[in-house]
Amino acid sequence: MAPFQVWLVHALSTASPAVARFMHSVWGWPFAESIHFIGLCLLLGPVVMFDLRLLGVAKRIPIVALHKLIPFGLIGFAMNAVTGSMFLMTEPDQYIYNPSFHFKVLFLTVAGTNALSFYLIPWRRIGRLEPGAPAPRSARIIAVVSLSMWMGVIIGGRMLTFYRPGVCGPAGPGFLAECIPRVRR
Amino acid sequence: MYRALGWLESTAFSTWMREDPSIFAFPGVLTVHTIGMALIVGIGVALDLRILGVARGVPIGEMKRFFPAMWFGLWLNIASGVALLVAYPAKALTNPVFYLKLTCIALALVLLRSIRRRLFRDRESFVDPMPARLRLMAGASVGCWVGAIAAGRLLAYTYTKLMTTW
Repeated sequence: MAPFQVWLVHALSTASPAVARFMHSVWGWPFAESIHFIGLCLLLGPVVMFDLRLLGVAKRIPIVALHKLIPFGLIGFAMNAVTGSMFLMTEPDQYIYNPSFHFKVLFLTVAGTNALSFYLIPWRRIGRLEPGAPAPRSARIIAVVSLSMWMGVIIGGRMLTFYRPGVCGPAGPGFLAECIPRVRR
Repeated sequence: MYRALGWLESTAFSTWMREDPSIFAFPGVLTVHTIGMALIVGIGVALDLRILGVARGVPIGEMKRFFPAMWFGLWLNIASGVALLVAYPAKALTNPVFYLKLTCIALALVLLRSIRRRLFRDRESFVDPMPARLRLMAGASVGCWVGAIAAGRLLAYTYTKLMTTW
């Protein structure tokens, strides 16, 4: 894992000098952070409402009609993918060696796979539901997983600052490399 | 004023928030503040989008069912916000951006209340496109939330005093 992380940090830090320059400008970082939080709300609003609907809240709203809000959630996700990459390209070692970031990526991956499984498994059946009928059990399980994973993503993101990795001692990084190895460039 | 802030900083709760290494102290409260934000702003903006004409198949009156989740987020944020303020009272209260944030939130909540009153008073009377006045309020609400979030983020970069003794 450690050599991969060293490679990744190097690749990210050299990916875009323009992004790094912008992020190091006075308002660059706070600006990107603001977008990241606005994107978070834009994503979480539709996702939480949709999951709650699958779990039986607001039964008189047709599930397919409520789904029209999801594209705005995707816009929010895109905003966060872009600004998130900007953070990564500017201070890669603060993320790549941060256990909180590892959990955030893990939760993101599960949330993404879970969302994909929603379209592969219950989505077509949902389109044929009688109005007000409860969502299939698989959809309700997916909703619970989705809500928990997105909460996990927020927690992982928020805890990043409190798990900043320090510089490694002479022993070098451990299994998950929770400190920044000294690398000669 | 300064004496009061200094006293607040010296209280057991304020000290615990700042100094306890537990993730349930400052980091946990900050996380709760973010989750509350996601609920109130996320659902609030989705409601605004519906008023502005998105997802017209959603019966607007039924959006009422999502309000408890929004109020839950609001209470999480009032509680966590007060705790964060008690942790570093001078940091926030000496920063004009903090008052900007509070103003944005107050405006957004006033708009939300009046949107809610209009929308659910007699739910049959609204058909798309929604009345121009309502759409204007929904647009302004999105603007207020964006302002509140940006101002909130800027708090970390614009303070001039961390503590009264600092």
